[in-house]
Amino acid sequence: MPSESLTNEIRLLRFLADDMTQAELGRRVGLTRQTIAAIEQGRYSPSLDVAFRIADVFEKRIDEVFCWRPAASRSA
Amino acid sequence: MSPLENRAWLTLWSMCPPYLVYFALQIVAPVWVARLTILERFGLLAAAAITHAVVFVAGLLLLKHRERGEGPLADERDHAIDARATRSAYYALMAGAIVAGMVMPFGQTGWKIVNTMLLAIVLSEALRCVLTVTRYRGTLRLAQ
Repeated sequence: MPSESLTNEIRLLRFLADDMTQAELGRRVGLTRQTIAAIEQGRYSPSLDVAFRIADVFEKRIDEVFCWRPAASRSA
Repeated sequence: MSPLENRAWLTLWSMCPPYLVYFALQIVAPVWVARLTILERFGLLAAAAITHAVVFVAGLLLLKHRERGEGPLADERDHAIDARATRSAYYALMAGAIVAGMVMPFGQTGWKIVNTMLLAIVLSEALRCVLTVTRYRGTLRLAQ
């Protein structure tokens, strides 16, 4: 089964936002620190609602934070 | 570790040892167990259940003390992991209930049925906890 990939720029955006901690980001979007870490490492794909809230914290559009690539375009 | 993962580990550590001893006694010393009165057999079962409950409650109080002021205990990822683990455990419990409630009454009686149902409950709960702790270490996609 082909597996798509969902990458994100949260680590970079946290660094640019005065090195915001995972706990602080989690507090602002209503997630635990462990879930923010899992999202950053690509071990968890957040819901659309959470993805929008994370983008809102960094004042970015959702596609500037998250990038989804289907399996076919990765191999191309 | 996530609070839900902590609770899954706590359930495993508090539940498995007493029930392992209980079921080991049924297998290793069936003659001794059969000689016990019904009250003594309930006492044996109660000892396992009370040990489980005491260790679990003590551990839970310790966890709650350590987690004070740590923000939300569970979010959408925790709920998704819990839902998937609970779904699998539900099927295990259903299988055990069918065996103990619909198959065994035709050939077995009394304590064998009780112990089979208890084993199904313990195994399904253990399965839920094992799936919970393993899924915290794996990848989870909501759409899957």
